[in-house]
Amino acid sequence: MNNKKTILIVDDIEINRMILAEIFGDSYHIVEADGGRKAIELINAREDISAVLLDLLMPDINGLEVLKDMNRSGAIKRIPVFLITAADSREMLMEGYNLGAIDVIMKPFMAHFLKCRISSVIELYEYRKELESVVHKQTKRLHQMMRSVIEVLATAVEFRDCESGEHVKRICGLTRTLMTEVSNMYPEYRLSEEEIDKIAASAALHDVGKISIPDSILNKPGRLTAEEFDIMKQHTVKGCELLSSIPDIMELGVYSYGYDICRHHHERWDGKGYPDGLSGDDISIWAQVVAVADVYDALTSPRVYKKAFSHDTAMTMIFGGECGVFNPKILKAMERVMNNQSKEN
Amino acid sequence: MALLDELKELHVDVEQALSSLGGNSPLYEKLIFKLSAMIRDYEVTDGFEDNDYQEIMEKAHALKGATGNLAVTPLYNGYSDIVRLLREERPKQAKEVIRTMLPVQEEIIRCIEKYR
Repeated sequence: MNNKKTILIVDDIEINRMILAEIFGDSYHIVEADGGRKAIELINAREDISAVLLDLLMPDINGLEVLKDMNRSGAIKRIPVFLITAADSREMLMEGYNLGAIDVIMKPFMAHFLKCRISSVIELYEYRKELESVVHKQTKRLHQMMRSVIEVLATAVEFRDCESGEHVKRICGLTRTLMTEVSNMYPEYRLSEEEIDKIAASAALHDVGKISIPDSILNKPGRLTAEEFDIMKQHTVKGCELLSSIPDIMELGVYSYGYDICRHHHERWDGKGYPDGLSGDDISIWAQVVAVADVYDALTSPRVYKKAFSHDTAMTMIFGGECGVFNPKILKAMERVMNNQSKEN
Repeated sequence: MALLDELKELHVDVEQALSSLGGNSPLYEKLIFKLSAMIRDYEVTDGFEDNDYQEIMEKAHALKGATGNLAVTPLYNGYSDIVRLLREERPKQAKEVIRTMLPVQEEIIRCIEKYR
């Protein structure tokens, strides 16, 4: 198998291309372009180019234009470019450097130095690529581990809460669907798909504070006394304390909404929620969405103190304000989501 | 006498050019023939009649690179001067360099063509 790396030589003068091809032909696979336009085509079409030797002055598209295109396409980050020049103007060289050229090759060529310089830069780039790949893999692994830790944490809370472990998954799913609908329906709440992904993942953290609530309260089959309810309400604040003690989770971008959701998913639109008594849009839209998703899932799931309500009953209760007042815009989005789901079924 | 020896007599730095090409003299000869054709194609005297100095500068610049890479030193020096003088907006002096360089260039081309 031929493991030679590829060098693209761009020069409108055939003699110059032939000399460079001779200098590098032993150690590299050579591809040639007799102008800037052809060079751009090759750079965009081929993945295997390890370096570009680029003449500055060419009749069709000059070297600076090739560099600009490489900046636009991002190729400049992965391919080192050497400018070939016979002492052109300083301004052109400066612009070349500013556009990301790695070095300048002066004509006439000095074969030995040229080989050493270009080979060492190609090796450095290859080494950097390898390092980036290792870092990327490790970061991915770290993120997966962190996600697993969070999933374990969230599931552990559910097991204490006598849940099956499915509640968290359902909340994340409904949060994603509802948040997407809200984002599509209302420009003021518009969020990118990437941000919605983060919100959905962060929703898993909404009840982590329940880990600090005594079993006697968490799993009490009957109604909570006022005093017990006050302790139960603490799960929002305790959850935030827990998350603050694990800064790695917050640094992991995917859970950047976790703290806010954890603290505010029991706030209500009319200010009668807890722990901070926020109202209206002082409550973040993601915390509001998780609140609706959480209530819907709680109503439609069996608990130690109640049976599961039907979908229709749950919707009537939510829209009737029996579980607190919600943002009317979210309720509209909820209605649309549920209607769409029933049509699909 | 062989081509490369004759070129040496015309002050072409054959040794330096060959060192760049890893001693590949057949390739050097091939490139020298190409250079001869290129000089004919890139006739720099044409533009002077039209005062098209930009075109002359572009041609001279291309020839400067090629002659330099093949160590055709007398022509490399001439084309380097022409490029510099035109950049300095001194076309009269550039034309004078061409005038004195042309016989040297003709002699080198004649020498190359003999072996084609």
